[in-house]
Amino acid sequence: MPRPLWTGSISFGLVNVPVTLYSAERDRDIHFQLLHAPDCSPIETRRVCAQEERPVPWAEIARGYELEDGRWVLLSDEDLQAAAPRQSRTIDIERFVELKEIDPVYFDRSYLLVPADEGAARAYALLSETMRDSGKAALGRFVLRAKERLVGIRVREGALTLTTMLFHDEVRSTKEIAAEIDAAEPTREEVECAVAVIEELGVDFDPESYRDEHRAHLQRIIKRKQQGKKIPVPATPAREPVTSAPDLMGALEQSLARIRAKTAEKKPTKPTAQKDGARPSSRSRRESRQPTPRA
Amino acid sequence: MPRSLWNGTIAFGMVRVPVKLYSATESKAVSFRERHSSDGAAIEHRRICAKEDREVPYSETVKGFEVSSGSYVTLSKEEIAAADGPGARMIEIEHFAGREEIDPVYYDRAYHLGPGKFGDRPYRLLHAALERSDRVGIGRFVFHNKAHLAALRATDEVIALHTMRFADELLSPGDLDIPAPQRKPSKPEVAAARSLVEQLSSSFEPHTYEDTYRDALLKLIERKAQGEAITAPEAEQITPADDLLGALQASLEQRSALEQRSAH
Repeated sequence: MPRPLWTGSISFGLVNVPVTLYSAERDRDIHFQLLHAPDCSPIETRRVCAQEERPVPWAEIARGYELEDGRWVLLSDEDLQAAAPRQSRTIDIERFVELKEIDPVYFDRSYLLVPADEGAARAYALLSETMRDSGKAALGRFVLRAKERLVGIRVREGALTLTTMLFHDEVRSTKEIAAEIDAAEPTREEVECAVAVIEELGVDFDPESYRDEHRAHLQRIIKRKQQGKKIPVPATPAREPVTSAPDLMGALEQSLARIRAKTAEKKPTKPTAQKDGARPSSRSRRESRQPTPRA
Repeated sequence: MPRSLWNGTIAFGMVRVPVKLYSATESKAVSFRERHSSDGAAIEHRRICAKEDREVPYSETVKGFEVSSGSYVTLSKEEIAAADGPGARMIEIEHFAGREEIDPVYYDRAYHLGPGKFGDRPYRLLHAALERSDRVGIGRFVFHNKAHLAALRATDEVIALHTMRFADELLSPGDLDIPAPQRKPSKPEVAAARSLVEQLSSSFEPHTYEDTYRDALLKLIERKAQGEAITAPEAEQITPADDLLGALQASLEQRSALEQRSAH
């Protein structure tokens, strides 16, 4: 069982649902340790007081905020708690909205909510079943690690799943980027052909079918190095020549022909049937890839 | 114009779209620096060789992967980058999926894309096609020596790129122990809960949510700067919900009373 990060309760009207919060993320990254090159011993980061020139234990570290006049205000954990608008052991549901209305740009980190004890299981089941049936997401606020967060909660695989959200002023405007786009509107023919390519490559989103091959590749590199083998460092690939006037229509038609030829070739094997077979469609696509301008 | 973080190409079928990547978000959270609590002095982070107990410059360091306790395989920057493969500057769209099929749990960071050199026409075409098809392109994006699943979608004006977590980077509810209720919620409870959800339903208006904590924290810092002592309020008591139906009905009544008052 992973470690719980927080225990409190969801408040839904006057109903309280005691819950425990777990991170929904699992770190699968390959981590490196910084070493001292000559002796391969680990490097430690030491916190040193710049004034006294001596190492400072973690307990003596405070959060400093610099005022405009250059003075520093030091804050303790208790100070941060005092700024929380309510004493927060609750996730307050304020609204219910359609999940699809929330632009994904607002989503930050995700967590799972689990009933805190057996007594809470009934209220939890009531809330999660009601939300599942309504298809809606709850919007609320709560305080985690002394910071208040806007959160969206919905049911995923039977469990209440919480995602922290950004505030609207933390999302950048696209105006400046959009203003720089220097091209006429694409023709109707081009758009229709591009949509046809999209439809040909349309699938039901199947997250299990994508594996992190980069991670596996890095693991192989580490293994080779451990065996004393040389790691070939690939030359920087020549960048595909980009032209100022690409033949978009020609490229779209070629793409369509190619995808359709591949689909016809693949038909008898019924690609969607093998779910655990790790990306049937993209693998076969790769194997049958014809020379592209990149190669 | 904001500074771009990355330049590359989107491969959409045989169409090449040169793009630039910009961050779509900026944290407005109040940020702090580490200071020494006794004298308020700055805290410096120093790299110390554990064996020799002395500070070492960054140029004398190397990255190592611990293969067994205390034993490392070292890799140069170039060797780590070798995992990126030759297609690192290319995001090949492998599939297109419906936006609503993607649960928020997959989304990691958000970026905006703008056209790169000679990219304006194919960029506008891809944007128009994404918008028209109402689908999201799924590809892979290698950034800072890490591969991400990436979703490309049309916003009103630009194409947005979201890095996404791989399925094995997520905890599934099945990995947790979720106790089942001994008694299922009753019909009247379900009906009352449903009414409460209905009462609280509205459309999502991001501008109505302000970070009140940020303001409260800045005010508190001001008070503290003037030498005021800060006391944290008492933690509130949470009453467990034994009488679910009673609590639901009371909530419904409270809501309708509120609405009547605001209607007058």
